[in-house]
Amino acid sequence: MANDPTGTEWIKKLAGMPQKNEAGRQDMEDHRELSIFPGLSRRDFLKSCGTLAALIGLSGPLAAPRVAQAFEEVAMRPRVIWSLFQECLGCSVNLLQSRKPTPAQLILQQISLDYHEAVMAPAGDEAEQSFQDTLATDDFFYIVEGAVATEIPEAITIHGRTAADIVLEAYQRANATIAIGSCACYGNIQAAAPNPTGAKGVADYLRQDAGLSDVTVINSPRCPGNAEDTIAILAYVLVHNELPELDSFGRPLFLFDETVHDNCERRGHFDNGRFVERFGDEASEKRWCLYKVGCKGPVTHAPCPKTKWNGEISWPVEAGPCIGCSEPDFWDKLTPFYDKESGIRLPGDITPTQIGVTLGAATAIGIGAHAVGQVAKGRFGRGGPVAGKEETEE
Amino acid sequence: MPKVVIDPITRIEGHLRITCQVEDGVITDAWNTATLFRGFEIFMKGRDPKSIWQFAQRICGVCPNPHAFNSVRAVETALGMETVDDNARLIRNMTEAAQIGYDHILWFYVLNAFDYVNVPNALNASPETPSLQAVQDQVRAVVDSGQLGPFANMYWDHPAYKLPPELDLELTAHYLQSIDIQSKANECNAILGGRFPMIHHYIPGGVTQLPALDEIAFYKSRMEEVKNFIDTVMVPDLLAIAPIYGEDLAGTGQGVGNFLSWGVLDEASQDPYDRLFPRGAIFDGQLELQEVHPDETRMYTKSSWFDDSVGDGKHPLDSGQEPIQFTELPPMEGEELPEGKYDWTQAVRYGDQNRPMEVGPLAQVLVAYLTGRPEVVQLVDDTLAAVGAAGQPEILLSDLGRVAARVIKAKVNSDNAVRWADELLENIGAGNKEVYREPDYGREGDGHSGWDASRGALAHYARISGGKIDSYAAVPPSNWNLSPRDDDGVRGPVEEALVGTPVADPARPLEILRTVHTFDP
Repeated sequence: MANDPTGTEWIKKLAGMPQKNEAGRQDMEDHRELSIFPGLSRRDFLKSCGTLAALIGLSGPLAAPRVAQAFEEVAMRPRVIWSLFQECLGCSVNLLQSRKPTPAQLILQQISLDYHEAVMAPAGDEAEQSFQDTLATDDFFYIVEGAVATEIPEAITIHGRTAADIVLEAYQRANATIAIGSCACYGNIQAAAPNPTGAKGVADYLRQDAGLSDVTVINSPRCPGNAEDTIAILAYVLVHNELPELDSFGRPLFLFDETVHDNCERRGHFDNGRFVERFGDEASEKRWCLYKVGCKGPVTHAPCPKTKWNGEISWPVEAGPCIGCSEPDFWDKLTPFYDKESGIRLPGDITPTQIGVTLGAATAIGIGAHAVGQVAKGRFGRGGPVAGKEETEE
Repeated sequence: MPKVVIDPITRIEGHLRITCQVEDGVITDAWNTATLFRGFEIFMKGRDPKSIWQFAQRICGVCPNPHAFNSVRAVETALGMETVDDNARLIRNMTEAAQIGYDHILWFYVLNAFDYVNVPNALNASPETPSLQAVQDQVRAVVDSGQLGPFANMYWDHPAYKLPPELDLELTAHYLQSIDIQSKANECNAILGGRFPMIHHYIPGGVTQLPALDEIAFYKSRMEEVKNFIDTVMVPDLLAIAPIYGEDLAGTGQGVGNFLSWGVLDEASQDPYDRLFPRGAIFDGQLELQEVHPDETRMYTKSSWFDDSVGDGKHPLDSGQEPIQFTELPPMEGEELPEGKYDWTQAVRYGDQNRPMEVGPLAQVLVAYLTGRPEVVQLVDDTLAAVGAAGQPEILLSDLGRVAARVIKAKVNSDNAVRWADELLENIGAGNKEVYREPDYGREGDGHSGWDASRGALAHYARISGGKIDSYAAVPPSNWNLSPRDDDGVRGPVEEALVGTPVADPARPLEILRTVHTFDP
C-alpha cells in the first residue's frame, strides 16, 4: 500500500473512527444470512479458474472455461494425497490463506483432498485407510510438504512408517509429484548445517538414497510454500496434460524464471541509489531499497513481487528484507540475513544498475553448482513419458 | 487388555502418536510420542544473533509470531536491552493479536469441530435460509460424488455425536465461514509483516519500519470483522453446543492441576505481570495465583531419545545438545506398551518440585481471572452461568474449560486488538515515530523471553558469546503439555488427562481424540 506522510487530521479521524461494534453487528447478522459463502456458486468457480488461467499464462475469453473444463472433464475430481514430513505446517497454513481459489472451492469443488493430516476428519487407522484407499487407485497427485530424514529416518514416522518409506511408495504410484515449500524441495531449515537428521528434499532423497533414476518432482519452493503456486502447477498439468518446463532446481520456469529484484516495487530506489541505511530510519518510512540492510532479492528467483501473498495484500519486501527462501540452502549460503555482503559477492566496482543485471544473471549462491541436469520427463499420464522439455540449463 | 494406538493424531500441528491402555472401557494408562525431530537447538548454535529469529519462527508455521517475538526478545535481553520503543511494543502486539485471532478460530472450527460436528448428519437438516440451503447442497454434492475426500473414513456413526441435524448443518456452514475469517485476520499479519505465515518486520531492537497510515486503517477494519465473527458466530456457537456436550466435557480431561502462563500482549509498562493476559501459575488445583520465572524450567531426557546422562533437570540453555539415542517404538499392533525411551520430546518440569504444568488458553484465562482482569472475570462468570455452574470456576479444570477458554480468550483478544492500533496512531499523531534502537551486538550474556503462544506458554532462551549464538533453546507449549514421563516416572499433562477417560468402543476412540484436541497439540 502507498505510504502517506503525516497528516494529523487523518490520524485523528482514524483514531476516533467509530468501532462499528453496534452497527457492525447488525451488518454481520445480515452477512450471515445472505452471503455466508461467497465462492461456492458456478460463477465463483469460473472466476477462480480465470485467475488460475492467468497464472499459467493463458489469456483470452476462452481461458477460464478451458481451465474449468480441465477440472470438470475428468469423471472424478483429481485425487490428492498431501504428505506432511519434517515441516512446521506453514505451507498448509498458507493454503488456508489462498484466495484464488479459496480453500473451500479447492477442497469441495476442484480436487478431492483424500489425505492431509491437518485437515482430514479421521485419525489413526482410519486415516491410514484413507491413504491406502487412494494409493490403491494408482491415479492421484502426490503433494509433499516437509523434508525426508535420511540419516535418522525415524526422526519422522507416520503410522509406524518412516517418511523415506512412505514417499518412495507414493511417488512411484502417483501421476505426478509436487514438492511444496523449500523443505520438500531442498530440505530447508532442518537441513541447515550440520543437518542433524540428514534432511533432504524429495527429489534428492529419491535419487541419492533410494537409488531411483529419472526422478521428476516439480519443486514449488519458498518458506512457506505458496499455495497458489501449487494450485497453479496442478492447473497447468491438468490443462496442458504435460509437466511445465523446469529450471535446474526443478522449479517451473513459468513461476520462477525471474528474480525478486527484477520485479521489485522498490527497484526504482535501487536504481537511483536511495537506500535504507538502518531499520526505522526516515528512508525506511519512505520504503526505499533494502539492499544495504541485507535484502537477498537480487539473487532470489521467485514470483513474490508479481503474485504477492495472502490474497495479494502484501509480500515480504513490503515489510523487510528478502531472505532468499526459494533458493536451495539459503540458511547457510545467504546468512547473516541482515548483512549485505552475505551471499552477494560483487565483482570490483559496479553501479547499482549493473548489480541488478550481474546478480540476476547468476553468481553468488552457486546456481549451477547444485544443478542436477534436471529432466522434466513426465510420469504424468499412465504408461510412458509425455511431452516435456528434456533438459534445461541455467 | 486392549492397547489403543492412534497414529497419526490428525488435525494438529506436528506428528503425534497416542498409546492408551484401556480396561473395562476406561483408560488406565497413556503415553504420548512426538514422532518428529528436526534439531533446532543444534543448527541454531553458532549463528548470527540478528538473523536467529528467522530460524526461530520456523519452529511453528501455525504460530510463527510468538516464536518470532520470543526470539527477538531473548536476543535483546541477552544484549542488555530490557524494553523496546513503545511503537515497537504496539506493532508487535498488533501482530500477536492477529495471530491469536486467526489461531483460535482455526482451532475451534477446522481442527476441533469434527470431534463434535457430524458433517453427513447435516444432510438430515431442513435448512431455513438460502445460505444454509447452499451449504447443504454443497455437502450433498460431495457425498453424492462418492469422493468424500477429507471426510472419508471418520466414525460418523459414533454414538458420542449428539447434535441435532440443524446444528450440524449450521456448524458445518460456520466451518466454511471460519476459513474465510481466519484469512482476514492473517491479512492483518500480511499488511504489517509482508505475509503469513513467516513475517518479515521483526528485528532485535524493534521492528523494521513504521507502518503507513493506510496500513493501520486496513488492520483496524479487518480486525473489526474478526471481532464481529467472534461475537456473533463463535461465541453463540459455543453457547449452542455447551448444553449438549457440556456435561460430558466437564467430566473428562482433568489433568495435572498445575497451570502456567508466561503472559502475552504487553501494556505500556512492558511488565509481564501487567499484560492483557498476565504471567502467573496455579499449583495443585488450588485457585491461588503464584509468581513464576522462565529460568525455573527444567529439562529431563530419561524418556526421550537423547542421552539421559545430560538432561537431568538442566536449564534449557544447558540442554538440547545431547547425543541422540533412538530406540524402537513398539509396533502399532500387539500388546507391547512403550517403556524406557519413547519420545522425541524432552520432559519439561517447573521448579524445585518438578511439577508438570498444563499450558494453554485455560491457563491464560485462569491466571487473568485470578489476577482480576475485569473483562475476563465477566466472561468467565457468564460462561459458568450459561452451563449452570455459577460460582464454580473449578469445573473449568477439564475438557470443557479448555474449549471454553479458547473462545473467551479469542473474544478478549479481539476486543483489544484495535486498541493497540489506536495507541500507535496516537503516538504517531504526537510526533513519535521511533520503532527501532540498535542493540549493542558487542555485549555477551544470557537472555530469555516468556510470551505465550496461542496454544500456551512459550519461552525462548539465548546465550550470546563472541557475537554468536553460543546456545539457544525454545520451550514451546507442546513441550509442556506433551511431555513424556520425567526421570521420576511422573506422567506429562496430556498423558495424565487421558487416564480415567471412558472409551465406549476401543475400535473407534473418539473420546481420546477429543481430550487430546482440547490441548491444541
